[in-house]
Amino acid sequence: MENRQEISALMDGELFEDEADTLFDHIRQDSAAHEDWAVYHLIGDVLRQPEHIHNDLGAKIRERMQDEPVVLVPRMRSIPQKIRNYALSAAASVVAVGIVAWMSLQVAPETAPQLAMQQDNLRQASMKMPAQADEYLMAHQEFSPSTEMNGGTSYIRTVAYGAVEK
Amino acid sequence: MRLPVVLLVLFLPVSPACAGDAQVGLDWLKTVAFAAHQTDYSGTFVYQYDNRVETSRITHVTLDDGEYERLERLDGPKREIIRHHGQVWSFMNHKMVQMNSSSGKGIFPALLPEQLAVLSANYTPKSGAVERIAGYNAQLISFQPKDTLRYVKKVWAHTDSGLPLKFAVVNEQGKTVEQYAFTELKIGDGIDRSWIAASGTAVAGAASKNKSALSQNVVSGWTVDALPSGFKKTMEVLRPMRGKHASVTQMVFSDGLSAISVFIEPSDNDEDDVAGLSSRGAVNLYHNVVDNHLITVVGEVPPRTVMQVFDSVRFRNR
Repeated sequence: MENRQEISALMDGELFEDEADTLFDHIRQDSAAHEDWAVYHLIGDVLRQPEHIHNDLGAKIRERMQDEPVVLVPRMRSIPQKIRNYALSAAASVVAVGIVAWMSLQVAPETAPQLAMQQDNLRQASMKMPAQADEYLMAHQEFSPSTEMNGGTSYIRTVAYGAVEK
Repeated sequence: MRLPVVLLVLFLPVSPACAGDAQVGLDWLKTVAFAAHQTDYSGTFVYQYDNRVETSRITHVTLDDGEYERLERLDGPKREIIRHHGQVWSFMNHKMVQMNSSSGKGIFPALLPEQLAVLSANYTPKSGAVERIAGYNAQLISFQPKDTLRYVKKVWAHTDSGLPLKFAVVNEQGKTVEQYAFTELKIGDGIDRSWIAASGTAVAGAASKNKSALSQNVVSGWTVDALPSGFKKTMEVLRPMRGKHASVTQMVFSDGLSAISVFIEPSDNDEDDVAGLSSRGAVNLYHNVVDNHLITVVGEVPPRTVMQVFDSVRFRNR
């Protein structure tokens, strides 16, 4: 829970650099924190393009990376480990700052947890309605303006064959 | 009965330009709603949704004691719906079952002025081109929503009778989420009525049996805190529902063209339904158990609108 608040704060640009570094380390090591991190970014995707939600974006990127040509640069090996780490984390920070800046424009902090809870549901958007739902559809159709406007043809929704019959 | 419609239709194309495109669209809508109830017709139509296509037949006749309408699904196992005077019967599992909750006399008159006002606040009506559908000329009227909480609706109305010959629901990406269109249609005299007598006995029998199980208006104490803008509550009832032990509270909210229903019932903890969001064509449904209550939200609106309603259902003590 504490981590979530920190991640949220990080994304709002409210953490100092050293705090952010510690948190980045933590996110790298703790899979739960990493998941939170991914979920919070998923929120941005949801807001931007609810029809194209990237579920587990990281895995997809890794998958695509497999297809990329591998560029072998021997000289890289001579760069001291420390500097390499620093360069990588700096690059990550720049990206993070970019995302944080964008996110803070897009998401009010208090809506974030709520949307995070909803992402599960959004993912199921293409689920077919079960036949048990017919009773609700029928009850709804009775009072829908579409019945007034189009007459009985709108009742077709309640008897569509697409649902799996009991 | 057809004469006033024809006159109205003839008048529309020459209505003064200052009346505006929106007014023309609304006038068409009134014509369509009137024609759908007052015209005798019978035809076959296709319903396209979720990458599926199904064929159905509809027959509608108006007699002295009201409208009779029969909708038959022509694909798959036999399903049939008969509507008369606000009552609904469904043929399923080899027998006719009464489905509706209202007594029949309280059905709203088509398109009240208030409803048109609400509609105009949420949609911009626009009349389009005349196209040919099922051999008839049809006027396209589209309703463009003013926000992304609702879908675009398009109606193609027969230029002579005003009957809706085609109907399409389009989302904000411009993708058609469902549509239905007549492929063959007969309008006017000579519509088969023999089925009314056959169904009449079943209708009367079912009606008397169910008299004690009708819905009643209530103030349940349930509210939708963050109602999507443009929606207004049109009713709240406690109703029986087939397959349920307890009565179900139903609230209906309308934006003039689309509706959202919220169903609330005590959870008996043995729901085998999968919680979450599901869809069929333009209709989205979300349900889940919250604090021992099964809450179901249904509407011909985008998923986000259904979920916004679901997330803000609260119980307020009266």
